Amino acid sequence: MHDSYAVNVDDVSKSFGAFKALNGVTLRVGRGEIYGLLGPNGAGKTTLIRLICGLLEAHPGTVTVLGQRMPNVAVLRHIGYMTQQAALYPGLSVEENVSFFASINGAESGVKEALELVQLYDRRNSVVATLSGGMRQRCSLACALVHKPELLLLDEPTVGIDPQLRVQFWEYFRRMAAGGTTLIVSSHVMDEADRCQRLGLIQYGRLLAEGTPADIRTQGGSQNLEEAFLALAGRRES
Amino acid sequence: MSGHRVRAITKRLLEGFRRDRRTLALLFVAPIVILGLLGYLLRGSSSVPDVGVANQDTGPAGGLVAAALKQSTHIKTIDIDAAQGDSKLRDGSLVAYIVFPRDFSEKAAAGTVSPELHLEGSQPGEDTPVIQALQQALTLLTAQVTGRSISFQPRVSHLYGGANYDTLDYFGAAFVGLVVFFLVFVITIVSFLNERSQGTLERLMASPLRRGEIVLGYMLGFTVLALVQAAEVLVFALAVLKIQNHGNVLLIFGMEALMAIAAVNLGIFLSMFARSEFQAVQFIPLVVVPQMLLSGIIFPVSSEPTALQYLSNVLPLTYAVNGMRDIMVKGADLTWSSLQLDAAVVLGFGIVLIAAGTATLRRRLG
Repeated sequence: MHDSYAVNVDDVSKSFGAFKALNGVTLRVGRGEIYGLLGPNGAGKTTLIRLICGLLEAHPGTVTVLGQRMPNVAVLRHIGYMTQQAALYPGLSVEENVSFFASINGAESGVKEALELVQLYDRRNSVVATLSGGMRQRCSLACALVHKPELLLLDEPTVGIDPQLRVQFWEYFRRMAAGGTTLIVSSHVMDEADRCQRLGLIQYGRLLAEGTPADIRTQGGSQNLEEAFLALAGRRES
Repeated sequence: MSGHRVRAITKRLLEGFRRDRRTLALLFVAPIVILGLLGYLLRGSSSVPDVGVANQDTGPAGGLVAAALKQSTHIKTIDIDAAQGDSKLRDGSLVAYIVFPRDFSEKAAAGTVSPELHLEGSQPGEDTPVIQALQQALTLLTAQVTGRSISFQPRVSHLYGGANYDTLDYFGAAFVGLVVFFLVFVITIVSFLNERSQGTLERLMASPLRRGEIVLGYMLGFTVLALVQAAEVLVFALAVLKIQNHGNVLLIFGMEALMAIAAVNLGIFLSMFARSEFQAVQFIPLVVVPQMLLSGIIFPVSSEPTALQYLSNVLPLTYAVNGMRDIMVKGADLTWSSLQLDAAVVLGFGIVLIAAGTATLRRRLG
């Protein structure tokens, strides 16, 4: 059966001991869409991303990615995952890191293109331990997209990054989406929300609201996204 | 210097430990386990070695000494035929046998006693009680034959080792393998934890890699390093330290390789149970020291209290040490059933750990 959605999260809950990290979340992300997961720290964004790439298993509920029920190892070839922390091998060079992630995905030919995309080709021989935080984030992004995944999961990719680089990152993301890649980007920074085509607002493990940035403004009754978000969060709590 | 600030550091440190129950447990349990083991090993009723006695003496003296040996608390005597002695040493049922020759009484009357003492020889720790028991028994004989001074001239022979066999030869054979085992274990456990703490393991788990592929890839990578190290240790031991070797060098290397593979997998497996490098480091004394005490490196397994012998016999390192000594001291080859067993146990241990490491990998990610 062909699934028109890249990601289909259906009534998913996830608990860690007594703590309920996600509680009945349902959301759908279309192919080629940039979907923003917004919410404060500890809202459940990372847990949701881990469920989507099969690192965790939903209970109850189902997660379907590119037409396959997760967790499913075969689908992982088509997913790129950039973790919150720039997870790299500090003793290897930039190119060695990217080549490693390319080869475990069977995509050795994409290394140069990925390095050029994040503008690290000139620094490819630098050892990661010697790089600045921003360069590490770019290297981490290159590792996540080197195999040209159909779905790219980015967990707070712009945390700790200067405004200039943040603009660059969003430029990469737009180009990838234009090329057909689906992106799910988590963030707690509201000014990034406007760059997404659709948003999901998460708090206390629940999806508070979903829609285009314009929809969220209407639902929250404010032209300012941050105020709209706070209004929606307050309405749910009361 | 501010007492207040020093106190703040002390308090912070103790507060951290309060939440790290595992570290606390290891801190207080490990020394009791290690010292308790050592105490039981040294003071527990150790079992005595079996010694064969062949009395061919036509006179009374041989019987007299044999009877005295029977009373000895250091050894347990078994009457044997002198012709069977060497084969019993070889199959491990005796650690030594003593022969009183036909003319033993005659010579005793003439002032010289010279029993034949045949030692297995590969474990000097086993020889000491035999020599002690024989000396005591002969002292008894002197007391019976009064009025003459008697000189002891035992004729000692060694099945393995021999007069030139020293402590380094004895320990060296075991340590050649152990150095590799412990160092590889430590490196593996710490670097696998790094993979976890720097977040790359999470990335690997979200890639098409399968768990078995991660564990096998790690194993092969560390095994390459371990084999180079094993070769270096072996060359140093044989060429520089000149540790006695009667076996095939390739066979020693093969045994070292098996130990290295087991160590890598032990490191990967145990890293699943540590949340930080700090905790991993504490596994080291808990894994290393009991095995050092119980695997027969220092104290022969046969002289341990019986309860500890059971424990020794389930430790893979006991087989590894035994195998290394069989090759280097006794010149064993793969036709020896004991060496086949030793190699199979170490290999089997490695395989069980690969499976265990793979099975625990995903569960421990979160």
